[in-house]
Amino acid sequence: MIVCVAVVGHQNNPLYIQSFTEADDALKLHHIVHCSLDVVDERVNNPKKSGPTLNETFLGLLYPTENYKVYGYLTNTKVKFIMVTTDLDVRDADVRNFFRRFHAAYVDAVSNPFHVPGKKITSRTFAERVSTIVKSFGLNAAG
Amino acid sequence: MGREVSESCLESLLTEIVSSYCNGFYANKPELAARRIEAIGFQVGHQLSERYTIDRQRFTDHLEAIKFICKDFWSELFKKQIDNLKTNHRGTFVLQDNRFRWLAHVSVDPSLDASGSIQDPSAMAENKASQATGMHLYFPCGIIRGALSNLGIPCAVSADISNLPACSFVVRIKA
Repeated sequence: MIVCVAVVGHQNNPLYIQSFTEADDALKLHHIVHCSLDVVDERVNNPKKSGPTLNETFLGLLYPTENYKVYGYLTNTKVKFIMVTTDLDVRDADVRNFFRRFHAAYVDAVSNPFHVPGKKITSRTFAERVSTIVKSFGLNAAG
Repeated sequence: MGREVSESCLESLLTEIVSSYCNGFYANKPELAARRIEAIGFQVGHQLSERYTIDRQRFTDHLEAIKFICKDFWSELFKKQIDNLKTNHRGTFVLQDNRFRWLAHVSVDPSLDASGSIQDPSAMAENKASQATGMHLYFPCGIIRGALSNLGIPCAVSADISNLPACSFVVRIKA
């Protein structure tokens, strides 16, 4: 299950952050997202030969914690997408697919002429679409 | 899933934008009108670059981003690629389009045209027809600038119309 997703702008400014848990642990999840930004920078500046292909948007598993796995994605326009999940065996293809749909939703949201670039995304449609994408994550794997 | 846009509608809209800014809102301040039109283009380019780079790997250097503008971005916008790309390898790129779509239907009075070629949209005070044509180029200039700056490349873009409908855009990357 995905517990938290975030969109972070190119100056590490939060554009959208949303947690999907019942418990009151939003702060902890935000902290995890915050920490992952450094890992993203590190990945981009010192790319590993063995890791995902150079300059690919999908950055793969950023770091595992005791209970969570954190995945990252960096677009051409230096916008970062972060996803925190509690599933411990996740298929790479599922995560890629998730980020692709998330990115598409983001692009549609910022193409709104009333959206101010660099400001938080307040669109309700975007929030609904993201939560649909989050809910459908991993359904194929289970079925 | 591609969406289609009527070309004639878009061309009419562009003409109307230019005419209402130049003759309506900022009739006495062409500089200000140019800046406003360029700003509209900037936002359009900013948003389009987000959309058109969705399935691409990240660019490693400026040249790669410029090539993207010349090929894929231009194809999406105008159904053709830039015809010629020149660079001095020091941050200046010249993108030449031999038949720029948004100027294809612009006609200039031949008697006025005889007065010679115009180099820079800002420096053509004497020739009114060319000035009006130049006004139409602030929008595509803004698009290029918006797309590049969203890709992390701050730059200045100007346009040059020496022989219609060919048109070249000069991109100067800010160090």
